[in-house]
Amino acid sequence: MGGTIKRLLLFDLFKGLAVTFKYNWRALYEARDGGNPNQAIYTEQYPLEPAKISERFRGAPRLNLDPETGGTLCIACDLCALACPVDCIEVGSIRREVREGDKVNKKKVLTTFIFDTSRCMFCNLCSEACPTDCLELTQSFELAVYHRSGFRWDREMLEKGIDYVRYDR
Amino acid sequence: MVAIMMMMTLLLTAPEWVAKLTGEKKPNTFWADTVIYPIIQILVVLFIVLTLVAYLVYLERKVSAFMQARLGPMRVGPWGLLQPAADGLKLLLKEDIIPLMADKGVFIIAPIITVVAALVVLSVVPWGPAWATIANINIGILFLMAVSSVSVLGLVLSGWSSNSKYSLLGALRSSAQMVSYEVGMGLSIMGALIFAKTLSMNGIIEAQNANHHLWFVFFQPLGFLIYIICALGETNRAPFDLPEAESELVAGYHTEYSGFRWALFFMAEYTAMIVTSAVAVTLYLGGWGLFGLETFIKDPTLSVIVGIVIFFLKVMALIYAAMWFRWTFPRYRYDQLMDLGWKWLIPAGLANIVLTGIWYALALPADQGGLFGFITHDASGYVMTGKGIVYFIVTGFLVTIPIVWMLLAAINRRSRDFNLHAQRQLQISLRRERLQKTAAAQPAE
Repeated sequence: MGGTIKRLLLFDLFKGLAVTFKYNWRALYEARDGGNPNQAIYTEQYPLEPAKISERFRGAPRLNLDPETGGTLCIACDLCALACPVDCIEVGSIRREVREGDKVNKKKVLTTFIFDTSRCMFCNLCSEACPTDCLELTQSFELAVYHRSGFRWDREMLEKGIDYVRYDR
Repeated sequence: MVAIMMMMTLLLTAPEWVAKLTGEKKPNTFWADTVIYPIIQILVVLFIVLTLVAYLVYLERKVSAFMQARLGPMRVGPWGLLQPAADGLKLLLKEDIIPLMADKGVFIIAPIITVVAALVVLSVVPWGPAWATIANINIGILFLMAVSSVSVLGLVLSGWSSNSKYSLLGALRSSAQMVSYEVGMGLSIMGALIFAKTLSMNGIIEAQNANHHLWFVFFQPLGFLIYIICALGETNRAPFDLPEAESELVAGYHTEYSGFRWALFFMAEYTAMIVTSAVAVTLYLGGWGLFGLETFIKDPTLSVIVGIVIFFLKVMALIYAAMWFRWTFPRYRYDQLMDLGWKWLIPAGLANIVLTGIWYALALPADQGGLFGFITHDASGYVMTGKGIVYFIVTGFLVTIPIVWMLLAAINRRSRDFNLHAQRQLQISLRRERLQKTAAAQPAE
């Protein structure tokens, strides 16, 4: 009986109309809320505002510096280059005498570090192999360049990171 | 040259020969009354309607976006408000493509026919009281129905001349659909015209205002419902947008059109939406009246402006409803569309006319052949008593709708037997019976 009355009054049609109207109404007054899975508007206006990136996203590589001395953390052990499945890392080093306090030790010192982002598949194996937490894949993802040579990142780029994107809001 | 000169002299001396023909002694206001003022009205209405059409496209995109949890156009101007201008510019600058082997003349003239048929009817739409209407002709609604149906011709010609199967199929569907739904539309407005007793658009609104400011939708709920459904079908809007079904026909009759010609079709579609909404407002929703609000405004100019605003708001509410339906309901299948048109809306429209006529005749006073005397006629028109209002509302909602519903159920009682699924099920059951019979006839081994 209830089903018959619902059919006679075209209940389903009005139910559908209520759903769409609810969304329309919420879109007009509700503020956008990134974390809410039931938000009224999902659109991200990406070039105008920063894109939301998930926590474990792996993007552009970076060579971390020692926060106290400002020198590099890299000990030129070459483990990252060995771990890399696509051979996109080249570590250049020399052996030279380094003064540490009173003693003078002979050590491997990092000279160049080439990271080819065009071949990198962002698997994070290099970062896991690094014994000093130096090499790390950051959340930055805007890697596009105008020429192929731009994909070869040298040590300076890797240490400074890329921050040429400016957002309006 | 000579003919043009003669025409010019004829026009320039028009006040004289008009006065001679009519025999009236008038001040010389011929040019002001019949040329200058209408041209100003036409230009203002065209400007407003075409701007409105551009912004209806924007509104449609925004409404659809909001209903789908998106933002819609946001990049051109604040909140994308300049998007219509950018779209218009893009369409104007696009290459004008006429397909190979297309019938060039017909291809060019088809969108013009459609857009002219859509724009001409704007002249009889009652935008507001007094001076706000361009032409208050006494067959307004008839003129509107007749001229707006010409737009089907443009669609058919566009589909035929494009030399494309999608266009042709879309045009055929569109013509069949528009012709069928026009019948239901014509029948549905008759119920309201029984109460209005006039075909003039302004007259219909004035009849509603004179009748205790009660809109005809209260007396004609079924007529209003049929009209709205038929208007959606007539303007090719979802859920009846079969001529443009993307998944089947690419874009329907305007598949081969691009640039400005395509824009003309688009313009015609949205103008038709405005016009059908305006007719619904005129016939059923009291036009520029709002329960006697205009009687409180003494200044004539202000009352006209308030009337225009009220009419505009009602039209926009109906257009929003059409967009709301479009983004809520899925598209009908072609046979379902024809079913709805011919087996549901047309019988319902006919039954609505008959029943409304019976209720109206019964409500007349005894000396005019009626029974109850809820309506009294005098020189200015008819007057409905308080009992009459209750009588018509009760008959409209509680008597007409159930009777029509039962009638439709009786007409369509076996229509389910004819659909494809039922036919297949019937064949399967028949086959099963036959197999069981043969199995029973054979002796068990």
